[in-house]
Amino acid sequence: MTTAGSLSSELRDLYTVESARIREDFAATGNGSAAISQRTALVEKIGLHLWKEIICPEEQGPQKFALVALGGFGRSWLFPHSDIDLLFLHADHETEEAFKDQVRGFSQGLWDLRLKVSPATRVLQECDRFDPANVEFAISLLDCRYLAGDRDLFARLHDKVIPKLMITETQPLVQRLAEVTRKRYEKFGNTIFHLEPDVKDTPGGLRDCNVALWLSLLSSMEKLHDWPDPKSLLSSSARKQFEPALDFLMSVRCFLHLRYGRDDNMLSWEAQEEAAKRGIGVYDAHELAPADWMRIYFGHARSIHRTATQLLEEIPAAWSSLSRHFHNLRARVSDADFSVVDGLVFLRQSSALQDPEVLLRLFHFVAQHDVRLSTTTEYKIEQVLPSLAATPPRGAELWLYLGEILTQPHAAHALRAMHSLRLLTVLLPELKAIDSLVVRDFYHRFTVDEHSFLAIESLHRLRQSHSEWEKQYAGILDELEQPELLYLSLLLHDTGKGAPSENHVEGSLAIAEQCLERLDLESSERETVLFLIGNHLEMSAALRRDIFDSATVAAFAEKVGTPERLKMLCLFTYADIKAVNPDALTPWKAENIWQLYIAAANQLNRSADQRLHPGADLDDEKVSRLRVLAPGAGKKVKAFLEGLPQRYLRTYAANEVLHHLEMSESLGKHPIQLDLKRGRHWFEMTLVTTDRAFLFGKVAGALAGWGMNIVKATAFSNQAGTVVDTFYFTDRFRTLELNLSEWERFKRGVSDILTGEADLDRMLKSRMQAEERKNTPKVKIKTSIEFDEKCSSNSTLVQVVTQDRPGLLYTVASCFSHHKCNIEIALIDTEGQMAIDVFYLTAHRKKLTGDHLKEVETALAEALRSGHSQGPPSTLKPVSR
Amino acid sequence: MTKVEAIIQVSKLESVKNSLHEIGIEGMTVLEARGHGRQKGHTEFYRGREYTVDLIPKIKLELVVADTVVEKVVQAISAAARTGKIGDGKIFLSHIDEIIRIRNDERGEDAL
Repeated sequence: MTTAGSLSSELRDLYTVESARIREDFAATGNGSAAISQRTALVEKIGLHLWKEIICPEEQGPQKFALVALGGFGRSWLFPHSDIDLLFLHADHETEEAFKDQVRGFSQGLWDLRLKVSPATRVLQECDRFDPANVEFAISLLDCRYLAGDRDLFARLHDKVIPKLMITETQPLVQRLAEVTRKRYEKFGNTIFHLEPDVKDTPGGLRDCNVALWLSLLSSMEKLHDWPDPKSLLSSSARKQFEPALDFLMSVRCFLHLRYGRDDNMLSWEAQEEAAKRGIGVYDAHELAPADWMRIYFGHARSIHRTATQLLEEIPAAWSSLSRHFHNLRARVSDADFSVVDGLVFLRQSSALQDPEVLLRLFHFVAQHDVRLSTTTEYKIEQVLPSLAATPPRGAELWLYLGEILTQPHAAHALRAMHSLRLLTVLLPELKAIDSLVVRDFYHRFTVDEHSFLAIESLHRLRQSHSEWEKQYAGILDELEQPELLYLSLLLHDTGKGAPSENHVEGSLAIAEQCLERLDLESSERETVLFLIGNHLEMSAALRRDIFDSATVAAFAEKVGTPERLKMLCLFTYADIKAVNPDALTPWKAENIWQLYIAAANQLNRSADQRLHPGADLDDEKVSRLRVLAPGAGKKVKAFLEGLPQRYLRTYAANEVLHHLEMSESLGKHPIQLDLKRGRHWFEMTLVTTDRAFLFGKVAGALAGWGMNIVKATAFSNQAGTVVDTFYFTDRFRTLELNLSEWERFKRGVSDILTGEADLDRMLKSRMQAEERKNTPKVKIKTSIEFDEKCSSNSTLVQVVTQDRPGLLYTVASCFSHHKCNIEIALIDTEGQMAIDVFYLTAHRKKLTGDHLKEVETALAEALRSGHSQGPPSTLKPVSR
Repeated sequence: MTKVEAIIQVSKLESVKNSLHEIGIEGMTVLEARGHGRQKGHTEFYRGREYTVDLIPKIKLELVVADTVVEKVVQAISAAARTGKIGDGKIFLSHIDEIIRIRNDERGEDAL
């Protein structure tokens, strides 16, 4: 027998020489699966040497004692620095006691070689007991492999004990496995798209390969009551993607172990560079750019992750009772096209996806209900993809569905599913450049595409937040008129990072323009999206200045232009920072963004009456655009804009301004020009007419008389006395919604009130009586009236915050009118049951004087308290300016 | 060795960093902070609600330097952070006994 010292040195030499050979082979071939097989064989050889020297000279002896490989060693996946999991299996406690010292010596022999051994000792009957506190051991038995000792003892473990344990304990084992996997996913932000992923533990890594194989094994054993054929574990379609992905990940992990000289699986930027240069895991090992190599990595990780998550979803035992309850609830959302079974969506008609509309509706359904696609549905999508790619939907048809998907609560989930199936890049080829794109900086943790999805997700999640400051952000999100534009901007905002342009914002703008053209968005919508993308770093930049300095706030507000854009930019900034990494949006930053937002919002309201003089404001982008749109109408445009507040141009798109101009030119035919449109949330009525006393109050009264609830309004007038007032209202009794024929009657009714042909008082009287009877507010809003004489050089500003109620605007406007105040500008807004109305008032073309102001304040307070309107004055004359 | 802690205005971070780089100081820790000295808070009304900021956002810089350059560092920070108004911030200096670089156990000024 060899002495312990000489054996140790002999084995150390063997291990050193063979390990060097494996390293050299890997350096030459880059073949990871060969390297791990070779290391497994080497460790096995060393183990057998030690077994013969320390335990029993015969490989298959002694009786009642066997050496079993578990975990990675059992699977024959020993990476260069992986732990070696061993089981010393005894038939009974007597044998265990008898071999105690030899087992210690055996383990010591391996440790002396600096091998990391994780030994476990068990008596056979202990292996058939399920220990909920040590599920890992039960799972590791799934990979058991005979190494030495009593073959019959091992056969009893393998053929009887393990199948029995797995069959009786499938439910708790799978549930625990699912639980551990979901916790691991959470730790990594539930995404595979990390800039520096851990190839073992990040979702889509080697751990997921094991999870997929274990789940399949458990499921098959439960059905067969025996070990299944390893080749039958995954479906042939899943194997087609799974096996190359596994080979790739094996090569990468080998490379990392050999590079770091330890069990470190972090694919750092430096490691990515080297792996790309050596073409690790790539066929014929050719050199690649790091970003391209990482795309290959993410492609494989995506396949692995998809297989693992599908199995987690498909095996009912993987659900906890709570998730089972949710799955059952989701089954109720099935509709005529899609059925939901166990949280998975199936198509009712397999040929339905030939119709692109059904395909888009499917993802709308996913975004709405947070359900996953079943494997068969995914397969069907993959089948129709080539024909869809040949003639992809575009224009308004695509935007209609895409916009709907983006605004649903689980939009990011649907987008990820579309992206993973390559559908998203078929619909929006602009996203190809950022597909799995790694951009190296010290802040971002995720790839560019995932960052964009996360930004969208973080906005949707605002609505579930319990944090006070997040609720404030959620509040302005709910007020957005066209939230889909904000989400689309987030989706496209970093596309420039995949373009050769040095400035990614400029690159993104160029790409977004193409995309918006294909989606056929209206010009005002395009302007908003491009504004958000072009300025998406402005708010962050402003935060680096003194946000309490009025000049900083004024400059920022000037750049933003309108309250609606300000809300969008504020939410954009919040989401963009939040999606950088989980710690990027500190409470410090979130609070500063909010402070800047409210300061800028106030600034926008308080500078609303700065007048336009197109002759002097030639640089204004909108004025230049108007010239392009109406090349022959330069003079008319100028005359129309003269004296309108600058805010007017920020509120309306160029084509809307031209429409107002056309309406003003038709005033000769009829003194009241009305335009009625239906928007996403509300109706929009624009009135162009010549200014007259009590005009604004009368429109508000007419709308209240029809039972409409005014949620927003703007009122502007130019030097020539032409007013452009827009009222946004909800149709509480669905009069217009259900009766198209009522649209004309409604417009005529409003027009008649303005021309004095109909009696507003009588109309309002009966409406208000009915309202008073049934209107009890759910939330009490305290009334506040704030006058500001300093913020404008021409007008007195009054801000009224009070309980919203039908006819409120009429009450306020009639009060002003009765006290000889002219409404220069009105900015009306509603937040839940709170009305926030800002008016710029003048009397005799000047600010209100001290006594007059007090009189108006008292009267307004009284009108708001009593809720009674004084009605229009008896004589109505046009107001001259 | 001396620890320099400077509370400065958020808007002055870039210029202070540049000034420190110019005199060869590369390493520093930057912390987001809130607080106030004589500069009191700020109140803004938004939609009928009052938003009072009594703790103003600031930046705290921390760096440890050799005693020989302390005065240069103080000058660089002061010059870059000064506007002459209330709220410019403060610099605190304190003595440091020892520095150990975790990676290789280097000590003293070698570890700076």
